[in-house]
Amino acid sequence: MKTLLYGLITGVLFGFLLQKGRVLRYDKQLGALRLLDLTIVKFMLSSVVVAMIGVYLLVDLGLAKLSVKSLLLGANILGGLLFGLGWGLLGYCPGTSVGALAEGRWDAVFGILGMLVGAGLYAEAFPYLKTTVLTWGNYGKLTLPQLLGVSPWVVIPLFAAGAVFLFRWLEKRGL
Amino acid sequence: MAQGKNGGWSPYLAGGLSGLVSVFSVWLAGKFLGASTTFAKTAGMLEGLAAPERVSRLEYFLKNTPQVDWQWMFVAGILVGALLAALSDRSFAWEPLPPMWRSRFGESRWPRWLAAFVGGTVAMFGARLADG
Repeated sequence: MKTLLYGLITGVLFGFLLQKGRVLRYDKQLGALRLLDLTIVKFMLSSVVVAMIGVYLLVDLGLAKLSVKSLLLGANILGGLLFGLGWGLLGYCPGTSVGALAEGRWDAVFGILGMLVGAGLYAEAFPYLKTTVLTWGNYGKLTLPQLLGVSPWVVIPLFAAGAVFLFRWLEKRGL
Repeated sequence: MAQGKNGGWSPYLAGGLSGLVSVFSVWLAGKFLGASTTFAKTAGMLEGLAAPERVSRLEYFLKNTPQVDWQWMFVAGILVGALLAALSDRSFAWEPLPPMWRSRFGESRWPRWLAAFVGGTVAMFGARLADG
């Protein structure tokens, strides 16, 4: 019960910020994919940099554990390509589609219905995928610092600096 | 508060704060943010209404039990939070077609609905496959 309440509160805060950042809209999502307006990239990278520092601090303090997903090259690449294709058509992400609906962009309803169908189809296809695509290029649970053989605190500042340079460049270009 | 052209907050500020939200979630609830699993579980719940036996036999739904959990409430919360934000600065707009779509494809609604539906289907299949 407490877990469910945490989920709701976290969602309310996150949805509030997504809307205030104006990243829920189709025009913003397609704007990013068409490299016309990179508001979403600014939002996402800012979020990632803050979360990266905070979560690794928690891990170092023994207050949290990382939840690392397996690197499955076949599934990651094929799934990523399909996701990109679908995202370009839909113009909303799974999480932002409900937020877009909440701010009145009700074409998102059809996207949400489509996503429910897509998830159902995946469940049907899972037994087949499990013995094929999901076995291709399985490198197990792997993080970038592990792959490079360095401390996370080498990767984090470099990543953050890269983000700041990108932000400055985007602002100069008016993107 | 940093105000953008459209009355919103700076994406750096809103994005940075959303990063803080995710840090607190990991700290206090041990939960990392995500949304796509919720669509799979909801699909399972809806299928369960029509064909409960079939759902109980599908391996995928044995691994991902179709029930309301932390992430389901998180996605429901996004709806509530976005609604509150949109009402707070009057940016709520009941809009059947996105402006960029309308300027390119015109006023007809069916093509947009079809593109959104097909796009959603393909995107979610891909997201589940990539374990996103």
